[in-house]
Amino acid sequence: MSDTLLQVNDLRLHYQTRNGVARAVDGVSFDIRRNEALVVLGESGCGKSSLAKALLRVLPRNINHFGGQVHFAGLDLMALNDEQFRKQIQWNRISLVMQAAMNALNPVVRVGEQVAEPLRVHRGWNKKQAMEKVAETFNKVGVASDFLSRYPFELSGGMRQRVVLAMALVTEPELVILDEPTSALDVLTQASIMNVLKRIKQEDGTSFMLITHDVATSSELADRVALMYAGQMVEVSDARDFFHAPAHPYSKLLMDSVPRLHQPEPPVHIPGEPPNLHNPPAGCRFAERCPSRFDRCGQDPKPITLKDRRKVSCWLHAGEGQS
Amino acid sequence: MTSPLPPSANRFGWLRDLRRIAFFMSKRLLALFVTVMIGVYLTIVIANMGGQVDELRELQIRSTISEQVRADPAFMQMPSEERSELIETQVLMEVQRRNLDQPFFVRSIDYLRQAAQLDLGRAEEMHSDTGAREVYDIIVERLPATLLLFGTANLLVFFVSVYAALYLSRRYGSRADRAVIALAPSSAAPAWFYGIFLILFFAFLAPVLPPGGMVDIPPPDSRWEYGLSVMRHMVLPVTAMFFSSIFISIYSWRTFFLIHSSEDYVEMARAKGLPASLIQGRYILRPTLSPIITSFALMLIGLWSGSIILEQVFNWPGLGSLLFQAIGYRDTPVIIGSVVVFAYLLAVTVFMLDILYAILDPRVRIEGGS
Repeated sequence: MSDTLLQVNDLRLHYQTRNGVARAVDGVSFDIRRNEALVVLGESGCGKSSLAKALLRVLPRNINHFGGQVHFAGLDLMALNDEQFRKQIQWNRISLVMQAAMNALNPVVRVGEQVAEPLRVHRGWNKKQAMEKVAETFNKVGVASDFLSRYPFELSGGMRQRVVLAMALVTEPELVILDEPTSALDVLTQASIMNVLKRIKQEDGTSFMLITHDVATSSELADRVALMYAGQMVEVSDARDFFHAPAHPYSKLLMDSVPRLHQPEPPVHIPGEPPNLHNPPAGCRFAERCPSRFDRCGQDPKPITLKDRRKVSCWLHAGEGQS
Repeated sequence: MTSPLPPSANRFGWLRDLRRIAFFMSKRLLALFVTVMIGVYLTIVIANMGGQVDELRELQIRSTISEQVRADPAFMQMPSEERSELIETQVLMEVQRRNLDQPFFVRSIDYLRQAAQLDLGRAEEMHSDTGAREVYDIIVERLPATLLLFGTANLLVFFVSVYAALYLSRRYGSRADRAVIALAPSSAAPAWFYGIFLILFFAFLAPVLPPGGMVDIPPPDSRWEYGLSVMRHMVLPVTAMFFSSIFISIYSWRTFFLIHSSEDYVEMARAKGLPASLIQGRYILRPTLSPIITSFALMLIGLWSGSIILEQVFNWPGLGSLLFQAIGYRDTPVIIGSVVVFAYLLAVTVFMLDILYAILDPRVRIEGGS
C-alpha cells in the first residue's frame, strides 16, 4: 500500500466538560490514498469537526484524552512534538479549510498578506515571491488578483470562502481537510467551489478529506465515503458502493432519507436521536434506532473488512469479512 | 469571475483612505469643539449658581470696602453720611470694574468666550506658589505634579496588566491565573484606602519613606538629589494606586484576551502553524488594538484630573488638591479654569484617539468616512 497517504488507527479525542467526558472522536480508523477524496459524512455533533481538529492538532483547551496512531506518508505524526508538528506538517503538508469561513480571516490584515503568510513563515519566501504565488492561487480558485490588497470585510461571503480555500492551497499541501466548506453558501457558489476542488484534484493530484452533512454535494467529489455516528465510523467504502448499496443499516437509512428527483416514494426520516457523547451506550451505538437490531448488538462491533477496502462496523456482516 | 467592485477603487487606495480620514476628522473636530463648549458653559452656570454667586460677591465687596474705609485713619473724621456715600461710590466702581452690573447671561457668554481662548482670568482668593494670581499660572504650576504621579502609576498598571494578561490568557486555569482571579476583589477598595495603611506602615511604624509631600523640605539644591527625593516621595502613592487596580486590571484584560483568542481567525492562525509570537502579535493584539487604545486613552483622561482624595491623603500638590482647595474657598475662576483645562485636554485626547482608530482599523478608515 505504497500510495497510502494518511493512515489513521483508533484515533481518540475526548473533551473534559462540565457534564463529564465527551467522547467526540472515539476510536476512528480509516485511510486516504494519494489523489483520493474521502468524504466524511455525519449528522451534527457526531464528531466530524473534532476529527479534523485532531488530525491537524488544533486542539481546544479542555482536552481529556488525545491518542491513537496517525501515519502520514510513512511519518508517525503522533511521535512528533508540537513544535515539530507545527513546522513540518501544519500547512506544509496538511492544510485545513475551517467551518465558519466567514470569520476565518483576520479582519485587520489584507487578505493577500494572510494567504501569503504560510509561504513566508514555513518556506521563508520573500514578499514578492509569495504574493506572486498568492495571485496565481487566487486565479485558480476564481478570485481576481486585485482582491489581494482588500480587507476581509470588503469581500462577499462567497469570495471570503474562496480566499480561505486559496489559503489552504497556496502551499500545495498533499492533503487538504475541508470542514463544511460550502454549508453557509448559496447553491451556485457551492457548485462553483466544488468544481474548483474537482479541478485541483485532477490537476495537482491533491488528496482531500471533505467533511460535510450534505450527501448531495459530497457525491460530486467523493471517491470514498466514511460515515460517522456518535464519534465512531460505522462504514467506510467506495463512493459508488456507498451511494448505491450502503452496507450499514445507518447508511441505508441515511440514503433513504435523501430526497431524490425521480423517486416515487417520499424520503423517510430516522426515528430517535443520536446518543449522548458523554455516556454512550455499550455495544453498537446505533442499536437503539436500528430496525435490524438483534442480540449481538449489545457487544461492541469490530470493523469488518469487506472487498474493495470496505469496512463496516455491524454484526450483520460478521460472516462476510475477509482478512 | 467578475469582481463586484470596480478595480479603480483599489488603485488609489491610500488616496481614498486619506480623503476619507480628513473628512472624518473634520467632522469629529467640530463635534468635539461643540461638546467642550457646552461642557464649559454648564460649568460656568453651575459654578456661578446661575448668577446667585454675584449677590454673594457684591456683599463681599461691600463688606471689604466698608471695612477698609472704616479702618483708614484718613476717613476717621469724616461724617458718617459722607462716609457711607464714599463707600457706595467705591462699591459701585468695583462692581462696574468686575462687570457685576450686567445681567448674568451676558457675562456668562463673555466668560465662555474668554474660556475658549484659554483666558482664565484671575483667582479670587488663591495664588500660585510663586505668588501669581492668574488662574492659568496656578493650574499650570500644579499640572506637572499630577501628571508625574498619575502618569507613572497608570502607565505601570496598564503595561504590567496587559502583558500579564497576555501571559495568563495562554495559561488559562493555571495556578497564577486562579490567584489573579482570587485577588481581583482587592480592587474594591480605592487607592487612598491602601495609601493610609502604607503611610501607617512605611512612614510611621517603620519610617523608611516620607508620609507625604512631593519633595523634602527644604528642597535639595542639586538636580540629582531633587529628583531622587521626588522619587522617594512617589513610592507610596504609586504603590497604593498600583495595588488598588492591578489585579482587576489583569483580570479584565485576561478575560478580554481569552475571548478574543477563541475567534475563528485565531484558531485558523494556529492551524496554519504560525509561531506563537506571530499569533499573539498579529491575530490577538492587532485586531483588538482599538479597544486597548481606548482604554489606554480613558486612563490618560482620568490622569489629567488627578484624584482629589489620594492627593489630599499624600499631601501631593496636584490638580486634585487644587480643585479641593478651590471648592473650599469658593474660588469660582479656579474651579472653572480647572474644568476648562480638563475639557480641552480631554478633547485633544479623544481627537488623537480618533486618528489612531482610523490608522489601526481599516473598518473605521474605509467605512467611517463614506
